[in-house]
Amino acid sequence: MAARLNEPIVAVSPRPEAHVAVRSARKSYGDVEAIREVSLALAEGEFLSVLGPSGCGKSTLLMMIAGLVEASGGDIAVAGTPVRGPRREIGMVFQSPVLLPWRTVLDNVLLPIEMLKLSRRVYEPRARELLAMAKIDDFASRLPRELSGGMRQRAAICRALIHDPSLLLMDEPFSALDAITRDEMGLELLRIWQLYRKSVLFVTHSIREAAFLSDRVLVMGRRPATIVAETKIALPRPRRIDMMESEGFNAHVRELRRAIEASHAG
Amino acid sequence: MPADIAAAQAAARQPAAPRRRRLGDAAWPLGIGLGSLLLWEALCRGLGVRPILLPPPSAILFAMVSRYSLLFDNLWPSLYMTVLAFLLSVAGGIFFAILITYSKIVRKGFYPIIVVSQVIPKISIAPLFIVWFGTGATSSLLLAFLISFFPMTINAAIGFQTVDEEVVKMARSFTGSRWQIFCKIRLPNAMPHLFGGMKISITLAIIGVIVSEFVASQRGIGYLIKLSGGLLDTPLMMAAITELSLAGLVLYGLIAWAERLVIYWQPASHVEAAGGG
Repeated sequence: MAARLNEPIVAVSPRPEAHVAVRSARKSYGDVEAIREVSLALAEGEFLSVLGPSGCGKSTLLMMIAGLVEASGGDIAVAGTPVRGPRREIGMVFQSPVLLPWRTVLDNVLLPIEMLKLSRRVYEPRARELLAMAKIDDFASRLPRELSGGMRQRAAICRALIHDPSLLLMDEPFSALDAITRDEMGLELLRIWQLYRKSVLFVTHSIREAAFLSDRVLVMGRRPATIVAETKIALPRPRRIDMMESEGFNAHVRELRRAIEASHAG
Repeated sequence: MPADIAAAQAAARQPAAPRRRRLGDAAWPLGIGLGSLLLWEALCRGLGVRPILLPPPSAILFAMVSRYSLLFDNLWPSLYMTVLAFLLSVAGGIFFAILITYSKIVRKGFYPIIVVSQVIPKISIAPLFIVWFGTGATSSLLLAFLISFFPMTINAAIGFQTVDEEVVKMARSFTGSRWQIFCKIRLPNAMPHLFGGMKISITLAIIGVIVSEFVASQRGIGYLIKLSGGLLDTPLMMAAITELSLAGLVLYGLIAWAERLVIYWQPASHVEAAGGG
């Protein structure tokens, strides 16, 4: 276990056969331009963050990749096939846990299995395993209201992983949590990511969070809503919380902050 | 173990103990109610009020016991009609609410007409129904249904539509179909509203049946109330009213009890708040 966790995960730079390929995607609602033009590539197994101020369209970008929002133009492909709607190989985590209050934690985690018409019986052991991995297996038969905010978001992450998707899309998943829980959840997420080796596209407005978690960070500006900067995070894996005090980390944070400020000034 | 998990485990271990408080809550209205009855009894006896004007509670109780079979023979048909009208309006209301939720034509075309039609005091239609359908069960049933259908529909429609957009988005992201989203999300989500609608609907169904029995009927508790009024048998009349109220209370209580069972995920206080609407 420990050896596996310490094994470094190399940040792969995007290749033509990227897991997610977005080419000149645009989105406008009537006259309102939500996304000017965005291109990005997410490599297999990569942890990529899209960092930007609220209202910059980064969530819309994520929804387009998830097939929940239709792009106004451009191409979006996941695993080589164009996105037409929600699909099986994607697991999503939202800003709030959106657990169903009448379902136990276990039944909430199994919801995607029901939606996909897969066998509950086959997937229940996996659900319990995921809950154990997220350290909330004691709460499997509890209702969501009996859980704390952080635990609910853990359950939501388990739900996103239950059908073994290859791609995890996360829309500011920790922004509703307090700062301490947030750091803790970031570490948890990295642990899970290294265990299951998913590709992750992580949307956030927290500079420190993006720098701490990612292999690569894309900065999205507000006007125009497009990618304005790209940074590779040169911190070793696995990340430890004390790395947040290192000079290398702070240099990345400064760089990202400057990129955001520059996009505001423009 | 992270701090938040430890805290939640500690909180979960605490037993829920609202039982004693609920008993305490009931003691107040019970005490005051009983006191009022005693005062009523005392005033009637002390001032020598004639039972035709205002019978004392003991006389009402006596009438309830001694004319038990007359009262119950007339209660059953009324109850039967009430429950039938209630079930029809629940089924019809839910069905119509689904149409409102999913069909643009119904939502934009029919729904406003139904809302506006609610300004008609439905009781005033009772004589018209008698002209159309005679003095039988059909008129009773239709009037009761007409009165109780609308609040059920409105509540159900609101219930189906007040779903958090994020929840629907979540379900869609896991490839949930419209039917799956209805069954697994909209329907359970609407339960508090459905029960709120049912509670209003059952009380209105009783009113509908009683009014139609006032207007024209040869049996039923409404008929008995009107008849005993004509005979100046006030104790019988008030016994019938009491019996009707108790029956209404039982029906309402059954729904409230079912609500507690079905909506297990909400604390009791939430359920009561939702029922008020």
